[in-house]
Amino acid sequence: MNKQTKTASILLSILVLAGCASTRVEERRQASTGMGDHEAIVLLGRASYSDRETETSFTECVASALAKGDRPLRLVTQKEFKDQLYPWFEPRTAPTSSKDLGKLFAQPGVQQRILDTHVRYLAWISGDTITTDSGGSFSCTISSFGGGCFGVSYWEEDASYEASIWDVENMTTSGQISADANGTSYLAGVILPIPIIARPGNAACKALANQLREFLQGDPIAADIAADEV
Amino acid sequence: MTRLLYLGMLTACVLVFSGCTTSVTVEGTIPTPLVAKIPAKVGIYYSEDFKKFRHEETIRQNGNWEIDMGDQNLLFFRNLMKALFDEANEVGEPSGNMTGVDGLDGILVPEIVKYGFLTPNVSGLKFYSASIHYRLTLYDTNGQKLGEWGVVGYGKSETTLFGKNESLSEATMLAIRDGGARIAIETKSLPVIKSWLEEI
Repeated sequence: MNKQTKTASILLSILVLAGCASTRVEERRQASTGMGDHEAIVLLGRASYSDRETETSFTECVASALAKGDRPLRLVTQKEFKDQLYPWFEPRTAPTSSKDLGKLFAQPGVQQRILDTHVRYLAWISGDTITTDSGGSFSCTISSFGGGCFGVSYWEEDASYEASIWDVENMTTSGQISADANGTSYLAGVILPIPIIARPGNAACKALANQLREFLQGDPIAADIAADEV
Repeated sequence: MTRLLYLGMLTACVLVFSGCTTSVTVEGTIPTPLVAKIPAKVGIYYSEDFKKFRHEETIRQNGNWEIDMGDQNLLFFRNLMKALFDEANEVGEPSGNMTGVDGLDGILVPEIVKYGFLTPNVSGLKFYSASIHYRLTLYDTNGQKLGEWGVVGYGKSETTLFGKNESLSEATMLAIRDGGARIAIETKSLPVIKSWLEEI
């Protein structure tokens, strides 16, 4: 490997690393959890009438991650659940705390409808991804003699989400999991535009999904040992 | 050659003019409300305006918009009214000499008073939002007005890169759902409905 190739490799590595997102996950457990084979979870994006709300794409990302892997969870889609329970989970009418579930279940047919869907846990997802900083200068030009892009621009994003997990059977809050990720993306122009994109939203999605799976199913090895002891 | 030229010009005209107008047809699922029925048999009058509601608006930054609620609003209300009352049948416009209302306890007329929407360019937010102001009027079977009330439904939907039609369609559908949710939950506790139920 000659010197130029080495320099280019190092530079590329630095740039790729700079495009990474750092993630922090926190869990607060309030009750023990567990899911039977027939039981399901529904992920609900917390919608409000303010200017910020959880992106549908984030909720879908978490749902997709939970439905895959070695230990997939049984999921009921948000749309199906909201249609089945209409009008009780609309932005204006949805319960704001697990204490409200008792009142909701007093409505005719609601408890039975939830039992029919086999939903054991509701996970309310709140939060969003915002751009916290941006700068630089980047432009592309094209003319009859050719064209190219020059300059560097960057933007820093912060993804902050929380899942509040409610146990429908016991009508209690089981716990909360929060995932925060941030990263800086770059767009460099050296004739060709070179994007180095950090995806903090995607990192937060994966981190939240992994922790949520652990939260609901527990550590598989520990569960096996416990089962053997019984 | 001339025919080809005409065809080309026509296509160019269509492309140029259609490029300035965004047509949105509202689509979505029609859920059946899970609420206790109001013990009454009502006739529901849906005007032609309600059945085929369209909204046209020109926004300086965004060109012309045509929002067609299609059958969505009507189907939603048909489902809503059947779930809300013991019996809900479609009838003609309330008047002094009504026919076909035997056995009914009253006539309910839903109307759309106002529809409005905001694009991200106008609001500065990441969402398309829509609001629908419904008015519901209750008549007795002689065509006498017993009372009216308003309900505003609101919905918003994320902006997607090439899906402004879908975003506004979804925001409008969410506004219909929101209005419907309020009607489903609040109607039975309205003073006009309470006093009407006491009399029938």
